[in-house]
Amino acid sequence: MNETSHVSSQFDEDLANLRTHVLQMGGLVETQVSAAIDAYSTGEVSSVKAIVETDRKVNELEKAIDDDCAHLIAKRQPTASDLRLVLGISKIVTDLERAGDEAKKIAKGVRRIYENGHMPVQYGIGVRHIAEAALVMVRQSLDAFARMDSKLAETVIYADRDVDTEFKSIMRQLITHMMEDPRTITTSIDIIWISRAIERIGDHAKNIAEHVIFVVEGRDIRHPGKKGGSAQ
Amino acid sequence: MSAHLLKAALFALLGAALAWPVGHFFEPWQGWAVFCISLLLQMVFHFRNFSRLEAWTRAPVVDDTLEGDGAWNGIFGRLYRHEKDLRQQIKSREDEIGLLIAAGQALTDGVILLDTMNQIQFCNSMAETQLGLVVRTDRGQHIANLVRQPEFVDYLAAENFERPLLLRSDRRADLMLSIHVIPYGNDRKLMQIKDVTQTERLDRMRRDFVANVSHELRTPLTVLAGFLETMQEIEVDRDERQRYLTLMAEQSQRMLSIVQDLLTLSSIESAPPPCHEVVDMATMVDRLHRDAQALSGGRHHIELLIEGQCDLRGAESELNSALTNLVSNAVRYTPAGGKIRLTWRSGGQGAEFAVEDTGIGIDPSHIPRLTERFYRADRGRSRDAGGTGLGLAIVKHALSRHQARLEIQSTPGVGSCFRARFPASRVVLL
Repeated sequence: MNETSHVSSQFDEDLANLRTHVLQMGGLVETQVSAAIDAYSTGEVSSVKAIVETDRKVNELEKAIDDDCAHLIAKRQPTASDLRLVLGISKIVTDLERAGDEAKKIAKGVRRIYENGHMPVQYGIGVRHIAEAALVMVRQSLDAFARMDSKLAETVIYADRDVDTEFKSIMRQLITHMMEDPRTITTSIDIIWISRAIERIGDHAKNIAEHVIFVVEGRDIRHPGKKGGSAQ
Repeated sequence: MSAHLLKAALFALLGAALAWPVGHFFEPWQGWAVFCISLLLQMVFHFRNFSRLEAWTRAPVVDDTLEGDGAWNGIFGRLYRHEKDLRQQIKSREDEIGLLIAAGQALTDGVILLDTMNQIQFCNSMAETQLGLVVRTDRGQHIANLVRQPEFVDYLAAENFERPLLLRSDRRADLMLSIHVIPYGNDRKLMQIKDVTQTERLDRMRRDFVANVSHELRTPLTVLAGFLETMQEIEVDRDERQRYLTLMAEQSQRMLSIVQDLLTLSSIESAPPPCHEVVDMATMVDRLHRDAQALSGGRHHIELLIEGQCDLRGAESELNSALTNLVSNAVRYTPAGGKIRLTWRSGGQGAEFAVEDTGIGIDPSHIPRLTERFYRADRGRSRDAGGTGLGLAIVKHALSRHQARLEIQSTPGVGSCFRARFPASRVVLL
């Protein structure tokens, strides 16, 4: 009796540590994204290096967490909600790492634009807006994971639609710019890359939110359109 | 105790006294039966009390008094009183804890108590707003799960809490927090969170001010010195000389106006509160309108709108320099052909002087800092327009001395609107 309760509390501690590590990684990605946005709007190219540096840390954490997940499954054979948590974590980590990569892409794009002597800010208001929306999505999806709050996760999923719509309107706007003045094409393409990366960050946040719902409620709400997708 | 023993013995004797005649006159077994029954009765009496006590201990209530019979009465009473005292103690402890929590909530700094595992045990509402926590759901949560900024996570992990951590909040832009972790008890931690946004801002303003004032004065001085050196060393012809002198005069004029504005600002700051003389606003607004037209020289369409007839109480010179600055800014930053509208609207609710223009506008990120000394949204442009960088600082000071507020709305490329709103207490109805 005593033995099992000791083992399970050790197990709980392992799970709690795993969660804390995921959120620590999430914190790094949040900083990356917000630093990338700052770089975009202020032109502080110096922070690009720090963003790339952080990416290395994020990658290491991803590997470590994946390893921990495998160990936990092998050693403790979790079941039911514990198993969902471990599975969910290993997916969340992948999405977080990719979001970090997108942040790195933004930073590099910003550096390219400024090094060519252009200022993206003149087209910037729309981009900054979706960037902030995407950042809020990342933050909320992590909050939802920390608090196991599936309601908040659902709001993140809805927010993704707005980001997608806004991304399309930025595209249209930039296409008009390029048609009016071909000299802006280089910069515009860079900005398209940046907005694309931001839109992808939003998608990853949405994925994380979906994993959170899977962890909390045990239903898989990905790809609802497909046959066999679970009931809403 | 012995009294109860005596009572029980007496009761048994009584039973025996009853049983003996029965046994003597009838069969002996009948006598024994009577004796047994009398003893059984005593047992039943005790058992009733015992079961009452048993029932009460399962769900002790202090609403109705617990009463027992005979020997049990004393025990029941003491037990009842003990329970009542305990409850009273618990309640007074709870009240004390409640007061402590209320005190924690009343603190203007954010406070979070962490247990040995860095999990949140208590957090006051200030900390909730500062860090975006929800105490209802977040109690027991590891603090780093919710405050995820790497700086903070590292600070917490390093366990070196000699210096507070300066953290820019990621949930509310422009919020600077100073987080101090203080270990206490057995490996527990208290987090004290101060909002240092203002202090940080003041610090930056002070640094910027010194840097700016030297820079603003040095630029014209460099030009002056340059020309003087040229003229000392090289023989220049008459025309050249004239041109240099004109430029030098311009630059010294610039320095003069900067110093003048600085003096105005410091005199506004150090002067006693504005007196309550009544300022004739109709005349002042009319003069502002004419000044604007003179400054514009016909390049703008300037209109004047007056609604309501009220005057203000205050210092005429200060109000004049505040409103003049607003008007001259609009003229300076509106391209030729633009429109400027001056509105003086007054009534019992208060009054406002608004300057709307179709000028270049200001990016929203600059608006909160516009009234800082020498703060420029666009350095080159505003200097070309002849600004000293002190105009809005003067406006803000002069207005705040009249309990008035400066409101700025602006859209880049569309135009700006500067409003000076005066409270009803300053308005004199005519």
